[in-house]
Amino acid sequence: MFKRKKMKHKLSILGFALLGCLLTVSLIMLPGSAEARNIKVGIIDCYSGPAAVYGIDALNGFKLALSEINKKGVLGKKIEWTKRDTKFKVDLALNMAKELVMREDVDVIVGTINSGAAMAVSEAIAKKEKVPFITWISKSERITGEKGHRYVFSCGENTAMAGKAGGVALSKKPYIKYWIAGDDYEYGHAIANAAWRNLKANKPEVQKIGESWWKPGEPDLVPYITAILAAKPDAVIFCTGGRSMTNIMKAVKATGMAEKVPIWIHSATDHAVLKPLGAEAPEGVLGTIDYHFYYPDIKANRDFVKKFEAAYGNPPGFPAFHGYITAYFIAEAFKKAGSLDKEKFIDALEGMKIQSPVGEIEMRVCDHQVVLPMYLGVTKREVGKNFVIATDIVTLPGDEVMPTCDEIKKARGK
Amino acid sequence: MDFVQTITLSALCSHLLVGLSRAMILFVVTSGMSFVLGVLRVPNVAHGSLYMIGAFAAFSISNLFGGGSTGFWLALILSPFVVALVSLIAERSLFCHLYEREHLMLLLFTFALMLILGDLVKMVWGADYRSIMAPEYFRGSVTLFDAPFPRYNLFLLVMGPLVAVGLWLFSNKTKIGKIARAAAVDREMVGAIGINVSWVFAFAFVLGCFLAGLGGALVAPTVSITIGMDHDIIIEAFLIVTIGGLGNMWGAMVGSLIFGITQSFGILFLPQFAIVFPYLAVVIILIWRPTGILKSVW
Amino acid sequence: MSKGIFSLKSFGPIAALLIALVILPSIIPRFYIYILAVIFVTALLAMSLNMVVGHGGLFQFHHGAFYGVGAYTVALMLTKTSLPVWVGFVAAPFVAAFVGLLIGLFCVRLTRLYFGMLQISLGSLIWAIAFRWYSFTGGDDGIHGIPLPSLISSTTGAYYFGLILLIISLIVMFLIFKSPFGATLQAIRDNPERCEAIGINVRRHQLIAIVIATFFAGIAGVLFVVVEGSVFPDLLFWVFSLEIFVMCLLGGWFTFAGPILGAAIMISLRTFAGIYTEYWTMILGIMLILLIFFLPEGVWGYLVEKFGFQRKKSLEKERQ
Repeated sequence: MFKRKKMKHKLSILGFALLGCLLTVSLIMLPGSAEARNIKVGIIDCYSGPAAVYGIDALNGFKLALSEINKKGVLGKKIEWTKRDTKFKVDLALNMAKELVMREDVDVIVGTINSGAAMAVSEAIAKKEKVPFITWISKSERITGEKGHRYVFSCGENTAMAGKAGGVALSKKPYIKYWIAGDDYEYGHAIANAAWRNLKANKPEVQKIGESWWKPGEPDLVPYITAILAAKPDAVIFCTGGRSMTNIMKAVKATGMAEKVPIWIHSATDHAVLKPLGAEAPEGVLGTIDYHFYYPDIKANRDFVKKFEAAYGNPPGFPAFHGYITAYFIAEAFKKAGSLDKEKFIDALEGMKIQSPVGEIEMRVCDHQVVLPMYLGVTKREVGKNFVIATDIVTLPGDEVMPTCDEIKKARGK
Repeated sequence: MDFVQTITLSALCSHLLVGLSRAMILFVVTSGMSFVLGVLRVPNVAHGSLYMIGAFAAFSISNLFGGGSTGFWLALILSPFVVALVSLIAERSLFCHLYEREHLMLLLFTFALMLILGDLVKMVWGADYRSIMAPEYFRGSVTLFDAPFPRYNLFLLVMGPLVAVGLWLFSNKTKIGKIARAAAVDREMVGAIGINVSWVFAFAFVLGCFLAGLGGALVAPTVSITIGMDHDIIIEAFLIVTIGGLGNMWGAMVGSLIFGITQSFGILFLPQFAIVFPYLAVVIILIWRPTGILKSVW
Repeated sequence: MSKGIFSLKSFGPIAALLIALVILPSIIPRFYIYILAVIFVTALLAMSLNMVVGHGGLFQFHHGAFYGVGAYTVALMLTKTSLPVWVGFVAAPFVAAFVGLLIGLFCVRLTRLYFGMLQISLGSLIWAIAFRWYSFTGGDDGIHGIPLPSLISSTTGAYYFGLILLIISLIVMFLIFKSPFGATLQAIRDNPERCEAIGINVRRHQLIAIVIATFFAGIAGVLFVVVEGSVFPDLLFWVFSLEIFVMCLLGGWFTFAGPILGAAIMISLRTFAGIYTEYWTMILGIMLILLIFFLPEGVWGYLVEKFGFQRKKSLEKERQ
């Protein structure tokens, strides 16, 4: 027999130990007194792991906007923020969002890059606890589409918009045989579906000759590319995100694929993807993104970029832009609502228009999705720059690339 | 399906090559893990973290020397030593006091090490994606079997066997290597004939981590170097050393080849389901041979 | 032999603890009720794992898979079918145990690390199904906003539901632990060869242990759905399984109640340290290393020893 122990003693210690823990915890962690307080925004996002680069960029944009907003204040108060690191895990996101709502008593939750976590927080917390939740980088169209509700908003582009932009743009090109490949998770599949749906609708003769899906972040994509090239498609749609972007761009460059087949990748023209690659990024790749720090070349954007670079030393990416407009939406909505009441805040935010670095943008009433234009471009190396940028940029207005309100209603009705 | 007809002999050959080159990186990483497993009997969960440090160190060293050819080669040579140093510090300050402990405690230690190293890397290098370039002559591709084959992968095909030969020479022709092999089989005996087993272990651990660092440096030019790389490789590495036969270096080679080639052929035939291939391969092999393909030292 | 949980002497503290847990929700803020409920779920999961790891000596590396299967079973039954809620709640542990049986059948043929790795692979196949099958399991997004009966959908309701299930499960587990079967299992852990030699069917005992443990993991899965209202593939991913494993070692894996403490420590740490720093994993790492050096038998094991009870034989001797 391995151990003969005196269970009763153990259990009694267990009793006292647990009781002690509970008492200490409940004494120490009681929430602070309720003084006349500032507006509190709780941020849950990923600050560890491969996705952290986006989380940090968004937070920087948000902080920059707050530093401007708080100079004047909102309703005579300041906007405070507190952040929690979800480590790209849904269970942690739920823990932390609940902590923000129940313990920190935040007025708005903002976050996260992880679509699964965003949806969990939206359904299990925002809807249940009636707290407004604004997503800023997660791109799943289901957040504000099929699964949308009164308490969830999106300040970023989503897969439906990206897919439509890509699908419509590709339908104007002469390609017939397509191969679709991408990260094997919701984001990849959603982009692929949206792009294919729109491509097929605009050009019924296109055919899909094959699909490949790899694990998100797969380091070695060369075998996929050789397999795709062996099938000789007219064009390829890659549906990758995050760090897989760097991997796919490297593999495209290493195999010289871009010279052989036209490629469309959403966010291929994103600076966060192109910058680390430096001169090694492939040229001639078709990409879409909703923000460039060098385009549109208007004063509002130049000012934003200048301020951002002064504060953080590098130009803003699309997450920073989303963070920036999120802060302004929150501030303006509270101003319009006139109080910290969450329901009034939501009413105020619906249909709100603000000035942003890319011009006036609107929070659509029917699905709580911000209307953002998409920029279609081709990667190209410019003389004198040590990184590749997007050129020949075509602006696709937001209302053209977004699903219509009827489509949203239909999706939600299901 | 239409595309199945497009699978030709040349496509098969080119995929074999691609699979082989992937296997080489896996081999470099897993041979180190297998070595540690064999001598110390510890599944080193922190192996992936050291691989990640290798890649990040390669990035920093390459940048320090202005990139290009010099930067690349120096990074390839120096970053494994950086990793070896890190592991030596961890081993001598903490790990070496634990060798007499229960097995799972050692596992727990390496897990703790993984957590700490992961956060340290984030503190030192931040969250940005990093990338280094291979020298000019390794960029682009050559056409082999009608398919583009990256030149860098050719380089990997050379490096893998070199490491294997080096390891073989080391473990069969040098004294310390022979002692390490002996310790793997019977550590009491090695101790009994007056050899300081603690240092043998230290040496084996550092060598294993050196190989992890080398793997990280080798893989650096082909991927985005980012926090989280550790999680990606570690489970694959464990599965490989398991199917090969725990602690058997050649098992690591066999396992890597199986992984690399199943993956690349799988992609050719069933590209939609690439995510499950490694697991399926392991299930089949372990059901067929419950203690791995080659003889385990355990 | 211990008189165990039902002896008069230990009745006092346990009753005190129980009363405390029952009245706590009316005095502490809602968030702490929620965190306690999360601790109940995780504690039950860790306890179930410890049945095979600590008491059975098996390298059950992918216990999260069964937890996830339980949670997904409930979630799918509640969202896709119109069956009464309790059917899902009852079915989940059985489905988890059935999957445990299937995977166990393959795994018990193997030993130690091979056992663990085969289990990780098989579990990862289940993970891949949950992750990929968008139309059925919701893919990597998971299923959220699962409709629950109003009685248990509030934080306090979930708390009491969790507490009750946890207590019942603990009593059952304790009885199993003290039963002849439990004793045989521990004997197998300590010396499988000898057990084999005296005619014990080692593999069958191990398999039964796995099935029991996965059954309780399924219950933990049900509780998870009740507390969080969501399921997602992370639950079935090997990283999470490793965390549960660590909880067992942290609390003290040769003790009965250790994993509860391990789970409580991990959850509290990540929740409360997470408020102040994003580097709490490093704190956890340092804590683990301190633990390995100073409390090799886990926190619970240390407490037991510290308070002057029977000095146990050193673990190293036992296990080698």
